[in-house]
Amino acid sequence: MKHKILIAGIILASIFTSCSDDYLDAPAESTLDESVIFSSPGLAEGAIDGIKIPFAETNSYRGRFLPFYGLNTDVEWYNSSQTVSDASDLCTYDAQKNNSQMNTTNNAWAMMYSGIERANICIRGLRTYGNPTAGSELGYLLGEALTLRAIYYADLIKAWGDVPARFEPVNNATLYIEKTSRDVIYKQLLADLGEAATLVPWPGETAATTSVERINKAFVKGFRARLAMVASGYQQYPDGVRRSSDPELSVPNMYALALAECRSVISSGSAHLETSFETFWRKYNQEYIVAGGESLWELPFSEGRGRMLFTFAVRHTTNDQFHANGANRGGTAGPLPFVFYDYDQADTRRDVTCVPYKYGTAVNNIAKQELGALNTWYFGKYRYEWMTRFVTSTNDDGVNKIYMRYAEVLLIAAEAANEIEGPSAAAPYLKEIRRRAFPAAVHADKVESYVDALTGKAEMFNALVEENKYEFTGEMERKQALIRWNLLKAKLDEAKVKMTNLSQHIGEYSDVPATLYFKYKSDNVSLDIYGLNRGEVVKPGADYTDFEWTWTGTATDTKINTLYKAGVNPDNRQFWPIWQVFIDGSNGKLVNDYNY
Amino acid sequence: MNFKDLFNKKTKCCLALVFLLGLFMSNQISAQNVTLEGTVKDASGMGLPGVNVLEKGTKNGTSTDFDGRYKLKLTNAKAILNFSFIGFKTKEVSAEGKTKLDISLAEDSNNLNEVVVIGYGTSKKSDLTGAVATFSGNEMRKIPVPNVAEALTGRIAGVQVTSSEGSPDSNVQIRIRGNGSLTQDASPLYIVDGFPVNNINDISSSDIDTMTILKDASSTAIYGSRGAYGVVIVTTKKGKDGKISVNYNMFYGMKKIANTIGVTSPEDYVKWQYEYASLKDNTDLSSYEKYFGSWNDYDMYKGMKGNNWQRQVFGRTGEVQSRDLSIRGGSDKMNYNFNYAHYDEKAIMLGSDFNRNNLSLALNSKASDKVDLSFTVRYSDTEINGGGMNEQNEVSSADSRLKNVVGYAPIPVPGLTTDDTDEAVSENLTHPFVAIYDTDRQQFRKNYNLLGSFSWKLTSDLVFKTELGLDNYNYLDYRYYGRSTYYVKNNPAAERQGMPAMILGDRKDTRFRNANTLNYDLKKIVGENHSLKFLLGEESIDYQRNDVNTALHGYPLSFGLDQAKKLTTQGTPVSVDNFYFPDDKLLSFFGRVNYDYKDRYLFTATYRADGSSKFLGDNKWGFFPAAAAAWKISGEEFMKNASWVNLLKLRVSYGEAGNNNIPTGQMVQSFISSTSTWINGVDNFWAASKTMANPDLKWETTVTQNIGLDFDLFKNRVTGSVEVYKNITKDLLINFPIAGGGYDYQYRNMGEVQNSGVEATLNLNLIERSKYGVSISFNAGFNTNKINSLGVMSNFGASSGWASTAIGNDFLVNAGEPIGLMYGYKSDGRYEVSDFDYNGGTYTLKTGVPDGTTIVGTMKPGAMKLKDIDGDGKVNANDLTVIGNANPKSTGGFVLNANAYGFDLSAAFNYSIGNDVYNANKIEFSTSVPNGQYRNLNSEMADGKRWTNLDPASGQLVTDPDGLAALNANTSMWSPYMPRYVFSDWAVEDGSFLRLNTLSLGYTTPNDLTSALGISKLRFYFTASNVFVWTKYTGPDPESSTRRNSPLTPGVDYSAYPRSRQLIFGLNLNF
Repeated sequence: MKHKILIAGIILASIFTSCSDDYLDAPAESTLDESVIFSSPGLAEGAIDGIKIPFAETNSYRGRFLPFYGLNTDVEWYNSSQTVSDASDLCTYDAQKNNSQMNTTNNAWAMMYSGIERANICIRGLRTYGNPTAGSELGYLLGEALTLRAIYYADLIKAWGDVPARFEPVNNATLYIEKTSRDVIYKQLLADLGEAATLVPWPGETAATTSVERINKAFVKGFRARLAMVASGYQQYPDGVRRSSDPELSVPNMYALALAECRSVISSGSAHLETSFETFWRKYNQEYIVAGGESLWELPFSEGRGRMLFTFAVRHTTNDQFHANGANRGGTAGPLPFVFYDYDQADTRRDVTCVPYKYGTAVNNIAKQELGALNTWYFGKYRYEWMTRFVTSTNDDGVNKIYMRYAEVLLIAAEAANEIEGPSAAAPYLKEIRRRAFPAAVHADKVESYVDALTGKAEMFNALVEENKYEFTGEMERKQALIRWNLLKAKLDEAKVKMTNLSQHIGEYSDVPATLYFKYKSDNVSLDIYGLNRGEVVKPGADYTDFEWTWTGTATDTKINTLYKAGVNPDNRQFWPIWQVFIDGSNGKLVNDYNY
Repeated sequence: MNFKDLFNKKTKCCLALVFLLGLFMSNQISAQNVTLEGTVKDASGMGLPGVNVLEKGTKNGTSTDFDGRYKLKLTNAKAILNFSFIGFKTKEVSAEGKTKLDISLAEDSNNLNEVVVIGYGTSKKSDLTGAVATFSGNEMRKIPVPNVAEALTGRIAGVQVTSSEGSPDSNVQIRIRGNGSLTQDASPLYIVDGFPVNNINDISSSDIDTMTILKDASSTAIYGSRGAYGVVIVTTKKGKDGKISVNYNMFYGMKKIANTIGVTSPEDYVKWQYEYASLKDNTDLSSYEKYFGSWNDYDMYKGMKGNNWQRQVFGRTGEVQSRDLSIRGGSDKMNYNFNYAHYDEKAIMLGSDFNRNNLSLALNSKASDKVDLSFTVRYSDTEINGGGMNEQNEVSSADSRLKNVVGYAPIPVPGLTTDDTDEAVSENLTHPFVAIYDTDRQQFRKNYNLLGSFSWKLTSDLVFKTELGLDNYNYLDYRYYGRSTYYVKNNPAAERQGMPAMILGDRKDTRFRNANTLNYDLKKIVGENHSLKFLLGEESIDYQRNDVNTALHGYPLSFGLDQAKKLTTQGTPVSVDNFYFPDDKLLSFFGRVNYDYKDRYLFTATYRADGSSKFLGDNKWGFFPAAAAAWKISGEEFMKNASWVNLLKLRVSYGEAGNNNIPTGQMVQSFISSTSTWINGVDNFWAASKTMANPDLKWETTVTQNIGLDFDLFKNRVTGSVEVYKNITKDLLINFPIAGGGYDYQYRNMGEVQNSGVEATLNLNLIERSKYGVSISFNAGFNTNKINSLGVMSNFGASSGWASTAIGNDFLVNAGEPIGLMYGYKSDGRYEVSDFDYNGGTYTLKTGVPDGTTIVGTMKPGAMKLKDIDGDGKVNANDLTVIGNANPKSTGGFVLNANAYGFDLSAAFNYSIGNDVYNANKIEFSTSVPNGQYRNLNSEMADGKRWTNLDPASGQLVTDPDGLAALNANTSMWSPYMPRYVFSDWAVEDGSFLRLNTLSLGYTTPNDLTSALGISKLRFYFTASNVFVWTKYTGPDPESSTRRNSPLTPGVDYSAYPRSRQLIFGLNLNF
C-alpha cells in the first residue's frame, strides 16, 4: 500500500515538475523581433512601407480626407454644395461631429494616428537597433519615417487644429491624452524635417530617390518650408483667428527658414518646372513618377487603390472608351464657374484647369464630350482621357495624389522673399512660374512687364495670392493658403459676388458670352467649342450648334449662397470637428473647441 | 466465431473461480446448499449480460454471462436475490423453494440512479448539487439533422439554440443562460470525451451516448477556464460487455423550400421601371426605353408570366441520406464499440451539398482487477459544397447572394438580363445562377481524435487515472471569386481585375491534452452515515494552430471553382501567408470534495487554478472556487408519509468560473508581415497588429448563483426542476474600440454583464402501461440580459454592415441595457400631399412638419417619413433611437411522446417569445437606391400598395396635389425611390414563434416476427421536420441571424439561406 502511494506520488510529481511556469510561455511565432527588423535595411524598409498603408485604407485619405478636405474655397467647390447632406456639410463649413461620412472608427483621423504610431515604432526601432547615419540605408529610412510622420501630423493639424501629440509609441499609460498645442507639434515637425533633410538624398541621387513615391531631400525641404509658412500664418485658435504667439514661430523666424529651404531646393537644381503646364498634368495622369522634375512627392496609390480621378476627374457618365471605373465617375467637385474667366486668355493653365464638358452616356462603349452648364465645371487636371492605363476597378482609379510640386516651392520662396527682402527678391520666382504658364510670344508682356510692375510689397503679395489660384486650382491647396493669409471669409464672400456677377453677366463678366457654339471634331468625340472666350459672340459657322450658356433662376442664388452655409462664418469654422466616435473613445480627454 | 469460444472459455474460468470461491465460503458457513440458476432478460427478451446477482444480506453473489445466464450457490434456502444493473430497475425476488429463477428487468427510463457525466467523473443524478441537464443519444437520433448541436433545439431549459439560416452547414449557436460576453464568442465549452474542442459540428449523432449540459458555476467551475458560459459534455459510445450487438440505422428524406419572399409581377416590375426612370430624369427616359421600349408598348408586358428565381435557385428537391452501423460487445476483460456513420445531403440550393463520414472505435480493457485501459479513435471527414447565401467573413456585403435572386428581373429583358455566364460582368444585374457560380466554395474538414486512458486502483479506495489525448483538425477552404464579385473587381492588382480568383485556406490545429486525477473515497473511514470523496487533478493542454492562406488572382476567365482548385499555376499567387499562431497552453490544478450525510444533506466544493499562456506574469493564474449544497427533503422523517413524493431536492450553489476566450498573443505587441495591393511598389509590409497589445490582461470571471428544486412525484409520473439563477460576468474580455490612438482595438478586461432568470422543466408521464403510454415534457427559460457596466464608456455602436456603409451603426451597446439593441429611426409612414404647400410646381414642407432631407432625400409627397425625436424640425442622426431588442423574453419547447402497440409518435415543438427580428431583406427589396435601378421589388411594394407618381394612362408624372392625392388614395407605402437604405422600426418585427420542429411516427415490428430472422428489433419511421411555424414575422423565417461576425449584432435577417421542410423515412435495425 505504501509503496503504491509512493509510486503514484512520483508519477504525479514527475508530471508536475515538467509543468513549471515556462510551460505557459507562448511567444508569437510568425513574427520578427524589432531588434532584427530595424537593424536590417531590407526588413526595416518593409516597416517603413507599413507607415504608408493607412493612406490607402477605407475611409482614410483615399475615400474621405482627399475627396473632402480643401473644399470650398474661392476657386473650388463641391459640385453638390446646394444639396444639404453630410457630404456637402463638410465643404460648406458646417460639418457636425456626427457627420455620417466621417463619424466612423476607421476615419482618416484614426488612420492618420495609425500611420503615426507605425512611424513612431519605426523611429524608436531605428534609433535603438539601427545605426541611422546620413548616407546609410537605415539613415535614409529614418529620414523617410520622420517625414511620413510629419505628413500625417501636418494633415491632422490642417483639418482639426490642435490634436494630441504622440511622438513615442503608445502604451496603456499614454493611450488617452489630451490635445496638444499645435505650436508644440509644429516645432517638433520642423525639427524632425530638419533632421530628415540631413538623412535623405536629393532626387535621383540614390536608387530610392529616383521615384517621387519615395521621400527625397527636395521634398523634405519644400515641405518644411510649407510648414514654416503655415505655422507662422494666421489660423483659428480656440481664442480666435491669429498668428502663433510662440516667438519661435514668429513670421521673421519662419519666413527666413522657409526662404532658406526653398532657396536650397532651387539652387540644388534637383527639381524644376515641367516645360509645359499641360505636359505636366498629362504626365501625372500617365503616372509618370520619375523624381527630379516638378512633382516632389506623391501619395503612392497602387493601380487598384485611390480615388483622385474617381472623385475629381472630368465627369464620365458611364463606362466608356476611357475607363471602366463605373457610372458617374469624377466631377464631385470642380472650379467655381468664374475661375475660367478670371484667367488671362493666353494663360495655358486655364484650359488645363477648367473643363466645361463631361463625357455622356457611352453608345457602343464610346462616350462623347457633352457641354454641361455654366454652373458646373470640372477639374481638367484629372482626366481618364489622359491616362495610359485603363481603369477596371469599380471603386478606385489608382492615380497618385501629388502632395507637393516645385511650383509651390517657387511661390513660397517668392512670398517669403517679398516679406523679408522685398518685391524685387520675389520677382524672379514669380517670373519663373509665369514664364512656364504663358507662351513665349507673350512673355515680354505677361511675365516681365507684369512682374516688374509689382513694386510694392502689398502689390506683390496680392499678385502671389492671385498666382496661387491660377496655379493650384483643383489641387485643394487653396484653403490652407487662404487661412494662413487670413483671407478665407473675405475671399469666399468675394467669390459669391463674382458668381452673382457671372450669372447676371454683369461687372467683370459682362462680356462673357451667353451662348456657346459647338460641333464635334473629326474624332466625333471631342467638342470644338466657340464662345468660351470673352467676345466670342458670333456663330462661327452653320455646322455649329447653339448651346445656352447661362445660369439663372432661383436655384442660382441658392447655389451661390451655399459656397458656405448661411449663418456660418468660415473663419470660425476653419477646422472640422473631431468626430463623435473619437470624442467618445477618448476617455473624456478630447473636446471640440471652436463652438462645435 | 473463434473469439466467442475464447470468451466462453474465459467466462468458464471466471465461473469456475466464482464457484471455487463459493465453495470456499460455503465451507465456512453451514450447509444447506442450494444451487439456483436462471436467465436475466430485458423487456424485449434479450439476455442481459453483466447483471449483478447478490444474495441479500451476504456477500455471496455473481454476475450473468453473455447470454444472461447465471448460477449461484445459495447460503440460505430462503434467500432473497437482488438483481441490479445500471440502467435497469433493481429487482428483488425470493428464491425460496426454487432451483431455477428466470426474471426480466425493466429499463429504468427516469431513474434517480441514472449516472450523469460531470466534470472529471460521474455522479448519480440524485446526488447532483448543481444545475445539470442531460440529453441522451437515443433522443438525439430521432432528430435527423447533420449537426448535433441543432438537435438540442428547444429541448433543454435555458439552452437557446439558433442556427443562422437554413443551410446544411449553418452556423449553430448555443447560448446557455443568455449571452455573457460582449464582443467575444459566448459559446459554451464543448468537451468531447474529456477533450475541449471548438465545436461539435463534426460528431455523428449515432456516436453519441449522452450529452450533459452544465449550467451553474458549481458544476462548471471544475473546468475553470471557459466554463463561464456553461459546458456541454459529449460522451461517445463505449463498448459494452456482452454479446455482440449490431445496430443499423438508415433514413432517406426529401426536402423542399419552406417560404419565399414575394416579388412583384412582370407587369408591375416594368411599370415600376418606368416610374423609376421618370423619377430619375423626367426628360430622359433612355434608361427605361433602351431595355423596355416605349411606354406605349407597356401593354405587351401585361399578364406576362415571370420567372420565379427563388424557386429556380432554391426550388430543387433536396435529398438526405443517412446510414450508420455500430457494433458493440465484449467480455468483462475487454469490450469494444465500432461505429460508422455516413450522412449525405443534397440541399435545396443549387450546388449546395454536404456529406460526412464518421468512424470511431472505442476499446476498453480491464487488464487486471486494478488496471483499466481504454482507447478511443474518432475520425470525421466532412465535405461541404457551395458558397451558401452569405459569409461571416465576407469581403463585401455587395456579394451577398439573395439580392441577385430576389431582385433579378422576372422576365428576360435583352441587354439587361442574360443567361450567358460569359456576361458575368454585366452592367446592371447579375444573373442569380452567375452570382451563385461566382461565389462558389468547397470546404473540407477532417478531424482525428486519439484518446487513451489508464486507470489504476491503487487501493480499493484510491484510484489514479491518467488520460492522454491528441486532437487533430484540418480545415481546407476553397473560396472561389468569379468575375461578378466585388472582390475580383476591386482587390486584385489592376491587370488582374475582373479575372477569377481564389482564396485557399488551410488550417491545421493540433491539441494535446494530459489529465491526471486521483479519486479517493473515504466511505470506509467516515462511517456509515457519511460519505466523503476527494478528487485531485492536474491537466495540461497545448493547442497549436497553423494557417496557410493563399490568394490566387488572375485565373483564365473560363475557370470555375474546380479548375481554380486543381490548376493553381494558372493563377498568380498574390499572397501566401503561412501563419503560426502562438501556442495556446493551459495548465490546471483542481480538486473536488463531495460529502453527504445520510444521503440527505449533500455538499460539493470545487476549486480550480488555471494558468493560461494568454496572460502575463501573475495574471496567468486564475482561481475559481465553487460550492454547492443540496437537501433531499424527501429523505427526511417528516416526509415519510408523503409516499407520493419520490424525490424533493433543494439545491443552492455559488461559484466562479473563468474565461480566456481571446486570441493568443495579445500581451506583447508583435510585428506582423502582411501583403498589400494598396500602395505602389509595396507588396508586403511589416507593421504592428492593428489590435494593441495589453500586458495587463487577466481572466474574465463569471459569478453564478443558482437555486434549484428537483422533484419526482407519483412514482416518476411527474418529474422536473425549477431553477433560479443570476450570473454576473466581471472583468469582461472585450475587444474594445480604441480608434484614434493609433490602433483600432485592444483586448481589455472591462465592464460587467449580468444574466438572470428562471428556467423550468416538467416531465409528465401521463399514461404508462406496458402496451401503451403517453408522456409530455415542457421546458422554458426566461433570461434577462443586462450590461451593468462598460468600463470607461457608457455606450458604443455596432454596425451589422449588411448595407456596407449605407447604414451606420444599427446596434447600440448601452450600459444598463441588454446586448442586441437595434438602433434606428422611428417610422412615421410617409409624407402626404397635405404635409406640403404647393406653389408653382414646387412642394414646400409646411411649418411643423419635420424635414427628413438628409436621410430620405428630397422632401416631396410620398417620401418615407421618419419621426423627429428631438423635435428640432429636422430628421438626422440625432433622431436615432432604440427601436428593437433581439433578446427573447422566453425560449423553450415541449415534446409529446406516445406509444401504443408498437407504434410511437413524437412531436417536438420549440418557441421563442418577445424577440425582435431586424428584417434587412425587407428594407433592401423595398428600396430602389441609385445603383439598384433595374432590381425587382418585393410584394410589400407592389402596385397598389406603394406610393406612385405615375399616371398609368398618360405615362406622365403627376405633380398637382389633387391628382397625387387621388392617385394614392388607396396606397399605404411610401415611394421605393430613395437615395439610400434606411433602417426604421418598420423593419423591426416581432420574431416570436412556435415551431413544430419534428413530428415523427414509428412502428416497431413485434418480436416474434423478427426474432426468427435473428433481428432483435426493427423499427420503421417517418419524420417530418419544420412542419409549421406559427409567427407574425413577415420574412421567410423568424429564426435567422445572419450577421454574426460580432455578437453585438444578433437577429438580423439578411440574405439567409432559406429553410426547408423535410420528410424522411427511416429504419432502425438491431441484431
